[in-house]
Amino acid sequence: MLLLLQALSARGRQWCHGYDLMKETGLMSGTLYPLLMRMTDQGLIEAEWREPTQIGRPARHVYRLTTAGVAFAQVAFEPEAVPSSKAAFA
Amino acid sequence: MKPAVARSLMALATYCLGDSRREWAHAMQAEFHEAGAAGRQLGFAAGCLIAAWREMPRHAEGRLILADHALALGLLVPVAFLQFACAIGLLSGKGGVYGMLAMGGTEDPYLAYAQFSAIPVLLMLWLLLGAAHLRLAWALLDRDWERVVQAGSLIAAAALTLVIMVEVLYLQAAFLGSVMAVMVIELIFVTAASRLHGRVSSEATLAHSAW
Repeated sequence: MLLLLQALSARGRQWCHGYDLMKETGLMSGTLYPLLMRMTDQGLIEAEWREPTQIGRPARHVYRLTTAGVAFAQVAFEPEAVPSSKAAFA
Repeated sequence: MKPAVARSLMALATYCLGDSRREWAHAMQAEFHEAGAAGRQLGFAAGCLIAAWREMPRHAEGRLILADHALALGLLVPVAFLQFACAIGLLSGKGGVYGMLAMGGTEDPYLAYAQFSAIPVLLMLWLLLGAAHLRLAWALLDRDWERVVQAGSLIAAAALTLVIMVEVLYLQAAFLGSVMAVMVIELIFVTAASRLHGRVSSEATLAHSAW
């Protein structure tokens, strides 16, 4: 999940295709799609249909992080936030 | 060969995802074309099938598909083969009806003649029961309730005829009990499956109308 989150957060609010995410993260389709479904259900990712760029090809799904997803990624990739708060209490 | 296998795996994945995840199935199909262009169709399709299987217990329709397959493969198909085995057993040596009669079933020549004459009909009935069970399993997996009712009625009629014939000709009281027990178990499970289907499809209709 972190790999996917990292790949999507690196793109900011830019849309990307499932197959590109597979190539980028190295995740197999059997891992990627359950993650995409789950994260979409949780409102972390939004999906949209895009018209095909080539004739005869089907419309493709594109994905990007939602605002909640971006916030979640920020928390997930800031591990220093917790130790620094602990240090503040110390 | 490879593309055909990959396409079959994708079709199976789409079926397993069900209506509630239809959009995701289309999304996978679209990327399948991209994977094909990169020559990785088979691996992609296998992954999608694994994803669909992992997803099945999580939604009502997937659980229903699993339950249907468990009922079809775990009960109906074994019962069908049991019927075929009975038909084969009917003709085979000591365990069959010929053996049973040879071991002193009756001394009345008229009854013995009637029993021997009934064997082809019994054989046909058992084969019919086996075939009807396979048809019922197939219809259940297809969710074709009209065919389920037809196959169920055929099974009930054939089983009842078989029971009456065996009871009258061979005086096998235990046979009636075992056939009726199997029929009742099947009836309970098939009715439960149809009710579950009705509930899930009405929930799906409500969800669609909400959209």
